[in-house]
Amino acid sequence: MKARPDTAPAPVAAARRGLTGWYPYLFIAPSLFGVIAFLLLPVLIVAGLSFFNWQLLSDPAFTGLDNYRKLISDPSVSHSLWVTVLYVLLCVPAQTALALALAVLLNQRLKGVKIFRALFVIPWIATPIVMGLVWDWIFDPVNGAVNSALAVVGVQGPDWLSDSTWALPAIALVNIWQHTGYNMLFFLAGLQGIPKELHDAASTDGATSWQRFFTVTLPLLNPAMFFVLVTNMIGAFQVFDTVFVMTDGGPSDSTEVINFKIFGTAFREFDFGYASALAMLLFLIILLVTLAQVRYFNRRTTYDLS
Amino acid sequence: MLKKSAIYVVLLAGAFLSIFPYLLVVLTAFKSRGRLNATKPWLPAFPPSLGNIERLLDTGFPWFLGNTLVMTAALTAGQLVFTTFAAYAFARMRFRGREALFWVYMATLMVPAAVTVIPLFLIMRQLGLVNTWYGLLVPYLLGTPYGIFLMRQFFRGIPAGLEDAARIDGAGPLTTLWRIILPLSRPALGTLAIITVISSWNNFMWPMIITSGDDTKVITVALAGLKGAVGVDDTLMMAGSLIALVPMVAIFIFFQRYIVRSVVLTGLK
Repeated sequence: MKARPDTAPAPVAAARRGLTGWYPYLFIAPSLFGVIAFLLLPVLIVAGLSFFNWQLLSDPAFTGLDNYRKLISDPSVSHSLWVTVLYVLLCVPAQTALALALAVLLNQRLKGVKIFRALFVIPWIATPIVMGLVWDWIFDPVNGAVNSALAVVGVQGPDWLSDSTWALPAIALVNIWQHTGYNMLFFLAGLQGIPKELHDAASTDGATSWQRFFTVTLPLLNPAMFFVLVTNMIGAFQVFDTVFVMTDGGPSDSTEVINFKIFGTAFREFDFGYASALAMLLFLIILLVTLAQVRYFNRRTTYDLS
Repeated sequence: MLKKSAIYVVLLAGAFLSIFPYLLVVLTAFKSRGRLNATKPWLPAFPPSLGNIERLLDTGFPWFLGNTLVMTAALTAGQLVFTTFAAYAFARMRFRGREALFWVYMATLMVPAAVTVIPLFLIMRQLGLVNTWYGLLVPYLLGTPYGIFLMRQFFRGIPAGLEDAARIDGAGPLTTLWRIILPLSRPALGTLAIITVISSWNNFMWPMIITSGDDTKVITVALAGLKGAVGVDDTLMMAGSLIALVPMVAIFIFFQRYIVRSVVLTGLK
């Protein structure tokens, strides 16, 4: 006992190693409860329900893979998936490329860069429901801003949201408008992290500015590109609010994206079993698309130049 | 020089497109229904009419706005408190299962909200919480994995020496967190608060599904209801949109730098 001159070192050493008894578990407990009860448990429930036939009023009946068999041969599901993929393809490349172009422009020595940056981000804070209403009004066939402007130059615009060709691109435009500016922030941050010497080195080697952009700049933006593509795709695959207020899935189902179909199947037709199978399908698609991107970018990304 | 002015033209066009829908909301909200068809949509009507706003105030709109305020305040407070505790533990404390748990949290980032609304509704139905404040708030009150990811990134950047010094002085984890870490974390907490305020305020799908009466109706659900009403009234909808947008725009103007900083928190810069 005499060997220890005082009692301090033991707790200090323990503290330094970060051993603090029950505290970490206490700190994590509320959020862990949330993750288990409101994220993991729901996933289990939806997976389980997808094997049942349940119309809410009767008891659920186990039907095995019936919902999935029905889903594969259901033309309205493949239509809905096609509409969703089309929507993602209309939105994500456009809002990524535009954001990148804006970031390149803003990454120069210009007066008022901060003001422009702020103005471009403003769409991101808009309530999607509100913007659905506003763009519904902008696309109004008679008095809307788009067709009024077209009329000034003598063009008769279509009835955007009642036209099964134009309704989906019109909704996609709202998404592009909303997300381009915020995406730009990520590319701008990435651009500002690229050391100037790299560009100088490439210039001395005789690279043109386009070559420099594609061989030096773009690969170094991979972390930002990864983040933007993954988050934008996950978001676009789940579009709901704007569809809900602008077209309600119409005209003639031309904007019935998968998330809207899931909602309708569950909360309008009360077919919770089938809706769960559809939700699992969406989950699987998002998971695969995300993992594919993780793999692609893991191979090509070099982090941290400093 | 020509190149520079070309850049400005592009930037100005982009900036105009960014704010044009907001501008249109303001212009249309103050037009009477009769003047709507008589003026070009991008021109103001004189004299401006307060009729639409007054009509809205006579309905349940102020109440729905209050409900959105309560929801936003509650969800933001919950996010700040519970996310801070969990993120600090993940960033700075050692405990059994930390890596595995964090991996589970990150995996849940890939669970789309679209997948969880059905089972969440069924859980709330089972608990008898459909159409109640509890049902509306509880699933999103305990913090989000994304918030925890952001805050953990930030906490890991704080020099460990500060906490060591506090511990040697005998401070427990709570005191260290409160006295040392939180004062250093104001920028990150501000960012977390702003992005939570915006996403809570804009929340639509869950409130629409879980609430049905006027007592717990929030402004997004009320606005979507205006569209569904018989005889679509654009001026009334724009007045409602104006009321819903003004607080967000105000927040943007005052806290813009916190939004810009959310990019830094993801660790990409």
